[in-house]
Amino acid sequence: MIPSRHMAKHSQTEAIQQAIEVQELAPPASGLPSALRLWRRWRQQAVIPYLFLLPFLLLFSFFILVPLLYALWTSFFVERLIGGTTFVGLQNYQEVLHDGNFWEGVRNVLLLLFTQVPLMLGLALGLALLLDSQIVRLKTIFRLGYFLPYAIPSVIGALLWGYLYSAHIGPFAQLAELLHWPPPPFLTAAGLLPSIANILTWQWTGYNMVILYAALQAIPPELYDAARVDGASGWEIARRIKIPLIAPAIVLTVVFSIIGTLQLFNEPQIMTAIVPNLIQDHYTPNLYAYNLAFTNQQYNYAAAVSFVLGAVVFVFSYVFMLVTYRRGQR
Amino acid sequence: MNRGLLFCRARGMVKAGLLLLLALSISSYLVACGGTSASSGPVTLTFWSWVPNLQQAIDLFEKSHPNIKIKWQNVGSGGTEYTKLTTALKAGSGAPDVVQIEYAYLPQYILSGKLVDLSQYGANDVKDQFVPWTWAQVSSGGKVYAIPQDTGPMGLLYREDIFKKYNLPVPTTWDQYAQEAIQLHKANPKIYITDFSASDGPWFFSLLWQAGSQPFVVNGTTIKIHLDDAAALKVANYWGNLVKSGAVSTAADWNNDWYAALQNGTLATWITAAWAPSDLEGFAPKSVGLWRAAPLPQWSAGEQVSANWGGSTDAVTTQCQHPAEAAEFVKWLNTNPESVKILTQKLYLFPSQKSALQDPSFDTANSFYGGQQVNRIFVESAQQVNTSFQWSPFQDYVFSQLQNQLATAVNGKISFEQAMHNTQNAVVTYARSQGFTVIS
Amino acid sequence: MARIGSLPAGGSIAATRQTSTRAVGRRGGWTLRGLVLLFLVLMLVYFVIPLFWLVVSATKTNDELFSTFGLWFAPDFHLLENLHDVFTYDDGIFVTWLTNSAYYAVVSALGASLIATLAGYTFAKLSFPGRELVFAIILGSIMVPNTALAIPTYLVLSKVGLVNTPLAIILPSLVTPFGVYLMRVYAEQALPDDLLDAARVDGASEWRIFWSIALRLLAPGFVTVLLLTFVGTWNNFFLPLVVTNNPAYYPLTVGLANWNQLSQAFSGSRILYTLVITGSLISVIPLMIGFLFLQRYWQGGLTFGSLRS
Repeated sequence: MIPSRHMAKHSQTEAIQQAIEVQELAPPASGLPSALRLWRRWRQQAVIPYLFLLPFLLLFSFFILVPLLYALWTSFFVERLIGGTTFVGLQNYQEVLHDGNFWEGVRNVLLLLFTQVPLMLGLALGLALLLDSQIVRLKTIFRLGYFLPYAIPSVIGALLWGYLYSAHIGPFAQLAELLHWPPPPFLTAAGLLPSIANILTWQWTGYNMVILYAALQAIPPELYDAARVDGASGWEIARRIKIPLIAPAIVLTVVFSIIGTLQLFNEPQIMTAIVPNLIQDHYTPNLYAYNLAFTNQQYNYAAAVSFVLGAVVFVFSYVFMLVTYRRGQR
Repeated sequence: MNRGLLFCRARGMVKAGLLLLLALSISSYLVACGGTSASSGPVTLTFWSWVPNLQQAIDLFEKSHPNIKIKWQNVGSGGTEYTKLTTALKAGSGAPDVVQIEYAYLPQYILSGKLVDLSQYGANDVKDQFVPWTWAQVSSGGKVYAIPQDTGPMGLLYREDIFKKYNLPVPTTWDQYAQEAIQLHKANPKIYITDFSASDGPWFFSLLWQAGSQPFVVNGTTIKIHLDDAAALKVANYWGNLVKSGAVSTAADWNNDWYAALQNGTLATWITAAWAPSDLEGFAPKSVGLWRAAPLPQWSAGEQVSANWGGSTDAVTTQCQHPAEAAEFVKWLNTNPESVKILTQKLYLFPSQKSALQDPSFDTANSFYGGQQVNRIFVESAQQVNTSFQWSPFQDYVFSQLQNQLATAVNGKISFEQAMHNTQNAVVTYARSQGFTVIS
Repeated sequence: MARIGSLPAGGSIAATRQTSTRAVGRRGGWTLRGLVLLFLVLMLVYFVIPLFWLVVSATKTNDELFSTFGLWFAPDFHLLENLHDVFTYDDGIFVTWLTNSAYYAVVSALGASLIATLAGYTFAKLSFPGRELVFAIILGSIMVPNTALAIPTYLVLSKVGLVNTPLAIILPSLVTPFGVYLMRVYAEQALPDDLLDAARVDGASEWRIFWSIALRLLAPGFVTVLLLTFVGTWNNFFLPLVVTNNPAYYPLTVGLANWNQLSQAFSGSRILYTLVITGSLISVIPLMIGFLFLQRYWQGGLTFGSLRS
């Protein structure tokens, strides 16, 4: 029904082309030479798909694959300020595996992964369920408000939080002073991780909520009607029907959060701008790789760090998906 | 019905979008090519510098040099610029012809062979116009890699009202400074004599410089590293004790809280450099009339030893196609009397040129400092800067290690002395891994 | 009618649902509803407060920024002067940055979503040798952090002479492995095989099938990738920072960061601080408007990545 309108406007040449293609698809009973047939099949199964992929693959090769391979290649070398470049095989990787700084960074992001991510996703799920329930009006305003932080570039984020966290001119510090309390310890060694976790939660809860909310909206409502007639409460419906049905969406948000948290860079960079004396150059593995390359001029080692981090990300995402998949099978 | 309409509209959007995309990519191609038209006439030099309002001096230069055009670009200050510069130099294209580099970062670009030796373009002719220590920092064995642009001989800015109120004399030695720090904080727990920022490596290095520490002696690929020599440990322990006593704050500097603290009287002094007086006017405008300048406190009474903090040079990169013209520009910018006058009196750079330091119009009373002739303090300081101080050719790494260690020490996890030893060990290991011969 | 306008685009199902819930009626007592509302409002405050600070601060002078309570307006309303300053400082370079950002974001978003749609469709609906391998490589590339790519990407760009041109920002932004993933999953659900097969039997070429049939059914997904790439490019900082040196090519993010640095380093430019804040506010507004008007598309589109079971 949809294509017909356009088909009607075929020109003559197109009609001929069409005739050929119809023949192509017809059973090979007629007198077409088999070589030609093979070519056409090949064209259908390999040439056309790759032709369609060409724009993406070309750009992907240029701007991701080639740089990645180049970085991989350089990770097998050491370039010294004096004496030039030498091939060292896997030595850089061995060093990364024994590099305390790297693993300290990994520990920090894992800490966030196991504390901040569940909190954020729990909040996102809760908000999504509430907005999906019938007890709330003005959904658009809430949805939009929650989502807005996603649109704030990290440069501006640093400005915002630098002010809000400030112990002198920040509004929370000013409120505390009115009540004769000490200023909240946002920018202290102890408060650093919670402060970063807060920025992360602020920025990404809305994004995750929208994914979950959209999944909830796509559930056919007939599914609840029976439960309602049986007198199930909103909470029971959420727990028994909604959450299981949007499980794939929850898995998706978890996987994104795993990748995003392990590769954490922007938020600690924001904090570096605000409190450079509190945040070390290897606070997260990604920050470490950046500083190795741009401050220490150890590009080769930085590349090795990035690839080991990539492996860590892969392991965690893979293990998570494996576990949820197994559970789903049961 | 509704759904169909929605999709049709979306599809119309897609098609319109594609046309737009085509048009835009063509135009971006044109933009990309427009910039690089072959020029037969005047030579155009790109110049990276973060000094604001530099165009005034450049206009003058272009007027007197009609066949050289300067394209000034502010690509960010300090680290931001170096990130881009390093990347561009590594890639072999995209670096500017002329570039502003701070003294501390000069050796690492000299070592990598990315700066043009300006002595072949007569740079040594202007040598005598500059304060001796600055020339020592830009040259080595008759080769000249940059022209000094501005400096930061050090001094002490202090709140006269606070010192008067608590009946304290202005400290002339570091011992006295430490005693008064404790007295002041005891008298009013809200006031700190100053802020010790662990994240300001260059500042801490200037303190080492004054104390006579000699962290690096570089001779080609052989390097002597002494980040924990006696003088360095003296400075580290001094600040370690002050931090421990709680009489100095330890917040990061150069942020809004710090500006606020300077303005509202939380910080009673600022151990700083000659470019600071005009900066302070900008970020603590409400404290007008309350600040004064004094010489830097000394380690032994009666001494007159100063150091430098900050200041920049202008260098020519090896990617420059017209090094002679570029050399002429950097020489002119930093020696032409009218240009120097703009730099020092309109853009508030503290001069590296002897003549500008002596210029009577530079020695004016400053109302922000209660009419004090502030520059005079720093002009004197400029004469007292130790000339033999050297930076390492991997200073970025040294700063970052030192900052990490000092931050750990401020948090009480290690002693300040240990922080210096750790930095020393890390830097020696790094230098060896980079192929240097490290001797002690 | 207004109600339908606010529905997600993929949501013909949701439309029926909304009506059926109306029929069932609202549930939950007033206390519960009040508590929930209170919670939602508190969360709204949490998410919006930083932006509110931005709005308030954009109305203040430099002095007031540091001397008045941050979350309320100062007696002196200075917004118009600040706006005037932002748009006129340095010969109106801000306008250049604004147009640059819009230009980079529009071109990148359109190009990236078209390319990703074509690729996602191909992975979903055409079978060819090496399909899963190529797809795995594309997805695997997400695992390695972007910082590893900064210098190599610069080298590639400089080899082809594109450094310091708008194309150096646009071309890398055209690649979204994530977009391809989303479009593949979406195409698998949204395009019935029967429909495509019928078109093939009718003799339509593969290109025509994509262009005339698939693309219109994939429109909500297309718009989602479009918006995600738009936000991504608009907010991108590191790539343009490294590959452009000419302030005339800066996008807003790099330009504002530059102003911010200047405002900290030099007293003569201290006035810049209000410019940075007002400029930041202006830079967020187009995205806010975009979200508001296009939300029926993107909220529908965002689901599809997750419906794969």
